[in-house]
Amino acid sequence: MSGGGLDLRIQDLTVVYGGVTALDNVNITVPSGGFVSVLGANGAGKTTLVRSITSLLYLHKGRVRRGSIVLGGESILGKKSPDIVSAGVAQVPEGRKLFPNLTVKENLLCGAASRSDVSGIDESLEQTLELFSQLRPLLSQTAGLLSGGEQQMVAVGRALMSQPTLLICDELSLGLAPKIVHRLFELLTEINETRGTSILVIEQNASLALQHANDAYVLELGRVLMEGSATELKGNPMVQELYLGGGGEAHTSYAAIERPSRSRPLEHGQRPPVTES
Amino acid sequence: MLLAFGNFTADPSVNLQLLIGGLALGAIYAVVALGFVLVYKSTDVLNLAHGEFLMLGAYFALTFLISENLNFFLGVFVLLLVMLVFGLVVHYGIMRRMVGQGFFAIVLITLGIATIIRALLLIFYGPTERARLDLLPQGSFEVGGATVRHVDLVIFGVVALCVLLFFLFFKYTRLGLHMRAVADDIEAAAAMGIDPDKVYAMTWAAAMVMAGVGGLLFGHVTGAIDRSIEAIGLRAFPAAVVGGLTSLGGSIVGGLVVGVIEQFANGHLGTKWREPVAFSVMFVVLLVRPTGLWGRKDLERV
Repeated sequence: MSGGGLDLRIQDLTVVYGGVTALDNVNITVPSGGFVSVLGANGAGKTTLVRSITSLLYLHKGRVRRGSIVLGGESILGKKSPDIVSAGVAQVPEGRKLFPNLTVKENLLCGAASRSDVSGIDESLEQTLELFSQLRPLLSQTAGLLSGGEQQMVAVGRALMSQPTLLICDELSLGLAPKIVHRLFELLTEINETRGTSILVIEQNASLALQHANDAYVLELGRVLMEGSATELKGNPMVQELYLGGGGEAHTSYAAIERPSRSRPLEHGQRPPVTES
Repeated sequence: MLLAFGNFTADPSVNLQLLIGGLALGAIYAVVALGFVLVYKSTDVLNLAHGEFLMLGAYFALTFLISENLNFFLGVFVLLLVMLVFGLVVHYGIMRRMVGQGFFAIVLITLGIATIIRALLLIFYGPTERARLDLLPQGSFEVGGATVRHVDLVIFGVVALCVLLFFLFFKYTRLGLHMRAVADDIEAAAAMGIDPDKVYAMTWAAAMVMAGVGGLLFGHVTGAIDRSIEAIGLRAFPAAVVGGLTSLGGSIVGGLVVGVIEQFANGHLGTKWREPVAFSVMFVVLLVRPTGLWGRKDLERV
């Protein structure tokens, strides 16, 4: 099985869409074999972060203005998306993004697009079906007709088909029943522990994300607002109020709340958001 | 009656002849429709230059099979190879830059490509019309008082073979699977490590090769090879739409249905009714089933 061994280091990453800055001087590290969560509300730049790592910004007319993304000592910035998958980075995209007209099996096989070892692909398919046993009877079903939970399983399974060293999950919990989300997070932990696959989850559901991760970052308006171990952040009063507090699933808008003082100062200063002239 | 609609006849041999002629014409439409479907299904581009692609194929067939007088199979091989290269040129030279642009802009670009191909053929081949190709069997035989040409049977066989090959290709090969994935969701495909650029390049190459086959076949049944044969693209359009622009099998059925309807309109109502009837069928199908008879909407359960 693919082991860990590659750490992801994002440094000083600034990403713009036209004149709009989506990420501003972001520094995030996913250590080899680690489980890292990035929390943030809508518009915090979470999906932009995923697109930057996986080189899909070009489809949205975005570009990296400065900074670096290094995987296992090698820069992956500017590489094409297929090369990044080959380098070991797989993703479960926001909204699942299955191929709706393809069968479950075909969806899973598309996850192995970067691989050339045909017998290894069959083996991975078998492993994936062991992990998600309820997909087995659905293999020849059209993916677009599955339930949301089943679709998300296919999406995770599809990403695993490339034997990634780093698995990125963008809003895994979106639109799914809490029970299914719990189950998926447990599976992620299992994958992390048994396969040594590094996991990066991008989440709005902070309680789950903090429960399963080792380290976490809070992203707000394109900048890293807080970072630390998951335990640390769980104990942080601001995180509690904004992401974990009484509100539960129904978070209060971040901007609507008066901020308590930060638990930890920003490491990279507090410049105003950069806009292109 | 005030309107004289030609001669209606119940003579079975006349109707059989119209049916056979319609199926033969429909097979040609099917080849062209297959080209539309290939490109539309995989790249979401409505390629209005496909008739010109086919014209290119017919002229190249003239060059390699008549002028250069190559052995038939070698000539066909060279023809298809050259068409494949032209397909890659269309992608890497032009269409690649249009990815992500609006549907309308891309359709206009294909019209531009059509104009360029017509102009280049005029420059290199001149305005003189050439005799049609005569390399396929030329004989015919009688069935129930109707004539069946050998060449039509050959066309039928080739079209059936092409459809079968494409079906197997899309269903059972990795590249075919990746092409369908890109057609479903280009961003998800890219995220899985599929290179959409390569998939698009292969699609245009395949469409050009199909146009090469189409040009070779149509070159045998057209009156003469000249600048007017690009009109086959427009004439086959109802076939592609009736079949549903995303279904390979649909393009065949659509081609045959429209071909037969046209021939019956031609025989019973007169030549001038041929195209109005064909396009009326297209309108009716679009009104009743906007995705065509076999086209499918994206399945999505939200």
